[in-house]
Formats: sequence, C-alpha cells, structure tokens
Amino acid sequence: MERTDEMVGVAGSAAVAPVGSPPVRRLRSWPLGAGLALTAGVAAVLLLGGTRWLNQPAVQAWRTVCLAITVQALPFLLLGTSLSGAINAFVPADLFARVLPKRAALAVPVAGVAGAVLPGCECASVPVAGSLIRRGVTPAAAFAFLLSAPAINPVVLTATAVAFPGNPAMVAARLVASLATAAVMGWLWLWLGKEKWLRPILRQRHTGHRHGHSRWNEFRLGFQHDFLHAGGFLVLGAMAAATFNVAVPRSVLDTFSGSPWLSVLFLAGLAVLLAVCSEADAFVAASLTGFSPTARLAFMVVGPMVDLKLIALQAGTFGRAFAWRFSAATTVVAVAASVLIGGALL
Amino acid sequence: MRRPVQTLLLTLTGIGLLHSALFTDTYLRYVKTGLRPVLIASGVVLLLLGLAAAAVRDGQPHDHHQHGDEPTDAEAHAHAHAHADTAAAADDHGHSHGHSGAPRIAWLLFLPAISLLFYAPPALGAYTAARSGTKPVTAHRTGFAPLPATSPLPLTLTEFTQRVQQDRTRAVDGRTVRLTGFVTPAEDHDGWYLTRIIFTCCAADSQTVKIRVYGTDAPPANTWLAVTGTWHPRGVLGTRTAQAALDVQNARPIAQPVNAYTDDLPLTPS
Repeated sequence: MERTDEMVGVAGSAAVAPVGSPPVRRLRSWPLGAGLALTAGVAAVLLLGGTRWLNQPAVQAWRTVCLAITVQALPFLLLGTSLSGAINAFVPADLFARVLPKRAALAVPVAGVAGAVLPGCECASVPVAGSLIRRGVTPAAAFAFLLSAPAINPVVLTATAVAFPGNPAMVAARLVASLATAAVMGWLWLWLGKEKWLRPILRQRHTGHRHGHSRWNEFRLGFQHDFLHAGGFLVLGAMAAATFNVAVPRSVLDTFSGSPWLSVLFLAGLAVLLAVCSEADAFVAASLTGFSPTARLAFMVVGPMVDLKLIALQAGTFGRAFAWRFSAATTVVAVAASVLIGGALL
Repeated sequence: MRRPVQTLLLTLTGIGLLHSALFTDTYLRYVKTGLRPVLIASGVVLLLLGLAAAAVRDGQPHDHHQHGDEPTDAEAHAHAHAHADTAAAADDHGHSHGHSGAPRIAWLLFLPAISLLFYAPPALGAYTAARSGTKPVTAHRTGFAPLPATSPLPLTLTEFTQRVQQDRTRAVDGRTVRLTGFVTPAEDHDGWYLTRIIFTCCAADSQTVKIRVYGTDAPPANTWLAVTGTWHPRGVLGTRTAQAALDVQNARPIAQPVNAYTDDLPLTPS
C-alpha cells in the first residue's frame, strides 16, 4: 500500500505539491494499525470465548450504546458529507473568497456566526469544514465555523430552551460562550497555528470541479469517499464513548458536585467522554441538578466542540497532529469562556 | 478498500438502516421515534450511492481515453482504475477529485451494518438501570389536577413520583395504582425496583426512573411487569421526604412495550 501511495504521489507531483512525504505515512498508519489490532482482538476473543460473551449484560449495554451513537449520527454525517461533496463539485472556487471578508481576522467571526445556518449535530460540521478549507477558505475561519455550527444552530438553541424552561439566560449564555470560543479558537489558529499540522490534502487547495469531468460524478465520488472515511472514524469514536458510558456509572457524578471549580472541570471532562449529541446534551445538562449553572453551561459549551467521536472524526479529516492540539486548546478556551460568561449571565 | 467492497459496504449499511427503521421497530432500541424518517432517507441515500457505485464502475476507464490530454492527474487515476486491485486503496488522499479509494478505517463501518442486520443488541435494561442514579423528577409547575376515579389507576413512574413527592393535596394517598416497567434488582435485597429508562436523543443519554417495590420476592431482572399497589408509607406524603415506593398487591407479566424508552403508559405490540 505504501508503494502504490508513492506511485500515485509521484505521478501527481507534476501538478501539485509532493504527497509521499514521511508525515503522510505516519498519519495513515495509525487508523490502519488500530483497525488491524481491533480486528485481531475481536477475532481472538471470538475464537477463545465463543459468542456467549457478546450476551453478557455489560457487553450488550456497550453494543447498544455504541450502535445508538452510530445510528444517531449517521444521518447527520450523511448530511455533512453530501454538503462537503456538493461544495467541492458545484460551488465556484471564488465564491467563498468573495463572500468572506478579505482579512482573515475579520473572516473568523463572520464564519462563526455563519455556523447558525447548518442545522444538526456536530458530526455534520467536520466534513463541511474540511471541504471549506479545500475550497480555499482560510483554515482559521473554517475552524470557527466547525466549532460554532453544532452549538448555535436554531435546532440546538430551541432544545436548550425546552430543557431549561423559564431560564432564557441559559440559552443566551450558551450562544455567547460558544460564539466566543469559536472566534477565539479561530484567532488562536491565526496566531499560533501551523499548516504542517494539517493533512497534506488540505494544504494543496487544488480540488473542486475539473474541466471535462462530470460534476455529478465528482459529487458522488467525493460524497462516497468522505462518508466512508468519516464513518469509519465515527465508529471508532462511538466505541470509545460507549466504553466510558458503560464503564462509568452515573451515580459517581454527584460526588463532584460540591466544589464549584472542580465541578466545572468535571462536567467539561464528562462532556468529552460521554459524546452526547449536541441536540440532546441540554437535556442531560438539565438533569445534572446537583451542579452549578456555570458547570452545566461548561458541559453544553464543551460537548459540541470536543468529544471522543469528534476527536476521532477530526483526526481522520484534518490529521492526528492537528486533532489533539486543537481539541486540547478548544477545551481550555471553552471552559474559560463558560466560566467568564456563566459568571456574568447566570 | 477495493471498490466492490465499498459498494457492498454502502449497500449493507443502507439495507441495515432500512431494516431497522422501515421494516422493523428495532431502531427504537437505539434512537428516538422522531429520527425514523431521517433514518429511512439515509438508508435510501446509501442504497442509491451503492447502486450508483456498482452501475457507474464500468464507465470509469473510458475517462482515460476521453481526457488523454491531461497527462498528470488523469493519468494517475486511469492507472488507479485500471489496476483497481493495487491502487484503489491507495489514492484516498492526495487526489481529492478521484475519490475512488477509501481508507481502511472504513472497514469499521461493517460492524454497525452487520450488527443492525443480523445481531441487533437489545434495548438497555436492568444492567444500566442498576448503575445509574434516579432521574430527578422535574417540579410540577401547573398544579395537580384531581385524579380520575378509576381503580386501579394507571400512572407512569414519573407521575407517581411527582404525586408522592410534590402533591400537597395527597390525592394518591390510599389509591390503588397500576405502574408498568421492568424489574431491576435492588443492591440491598430489601424489595426491588420497577424501572424505566428514558432518553431524549439516543441511548447514550439515557436516564433512569425507579420506583422501589416492597411485598414480593424480586422477579428475574428485565421482566416487564404491570404492578398494582398502594404507596409504601415512608416519609411525609407530598414532600421531598416521601419515598417513591409501592406496596405491591399484584404483579402481572406483560410484553415489552413498543415504546420501551419512554415513561408513557404502555403501547403493547399488537
């Protein structure tokens, strides 16, 4: 496989940047290794223990939660990947350059506010942000969109209002804190971000419609590729989230609710591990009655931006070097924004 | 991943979604009812995508001849298509317009597809309920209406908890009620729990409502029961101190309701 990589890479390098550089191989080998290890592990367990273990209550609960996260996210992933395929095939290359402000620092908040138009949960926004970068949108603006879209769209804000009846301040705080986090992360990328953390495909910017090729065929192939790619990472993330979901009993939550500072950090960490869909996380937050409003706000701000399945999806779309840096920084910024805005509004 | 495998994967996933959402009710074990149309649409889209991939496949190498004047990228892709067995898996990056390959991580998608079709796990049950705390019942804002006169009175677990802990008129005092749910063993073996698992979006955000039941030995875990009984007097009725508990008079096994993940009065399978 590495060999054919090189072959295609060399053939392509006449027109585009070289592809077969070492970082590419490192990036590609880890999902492969993880997949192979997983398959080998499953096969070994199946051979040794038969299939009876699959019906143990804990394993059954794990399978149910894992399948639930996957099934719940698949339609949104399809929406996101079909949009990303359509952006690649049908949207003129200079459209985003014309619509977005020329200065990247201004484009960031504009893209963050534009996140309100993508209804759905966080799985849809990752492939769309990837295709925006491939169409020449500055990565900082695309990341602001990536972070804000799942948190501030009307569906999610309505769900928040329903989950916290008679508490419009919570909806406002969520909107402001999410937008602030998205904008700050965009500007942080302008200041500190390095393009070499991104997968090479995102650095080339040579994609989109090619003269002489059928647009529909390009759309179909791009859609299919992005869906299969992101879908695999979605399953990986769902497995990790299901493991925490089943292994950590909810009853331990209340032990952390006493301290105001610890509870904010604890709920932010919980949002990362549980990977609840952004349309449902307001209801989970509302049920965590032992915690302060600020801690619950942190749960709702961090959840749509960083969680296990998102980290897996981002590692697949943007590259692993990017995913862990970006997720760590986003968590810090989101917690800070929640504390500041929660302190002011709640 | 080779192209025929991709076609198979897309088709299988599509059929799996259609199987669980259109032909059976198994999707209700994992996600909320409202997601059904979206799941069916996704199944159809995936099926069409798979069929299109199978149908258009043969047309691909002709591109090579039509666009032979593009020696760089087009050449590489014509190679990839002609030698699909070696190159198809390789060009998942670097050449975004020729997405003919898919990375090997996509193999993981076979797990949910096959699981949906052949080995669907059951709805969450006593294992999850035993390990989660009781969902806090929301405060009843509008005031309580008088209870209907029927006896036994069918109530949901949430309604019963609200009546016991919040209704200052103590309307539930002495009334025979009928509750439905499944059995979760209690950790201290003093009675057992009648439970419902509720979620708002999918099984990952599940919450549990529990009613302690006294008076009979615990039936096997996960048995669905319709339990008739009266409030088990402990604490002050109508305040937070009252325990949501029932002295059982009669427990009758029922079929698992279709809407197992809600706390509604049961819809039994017809």
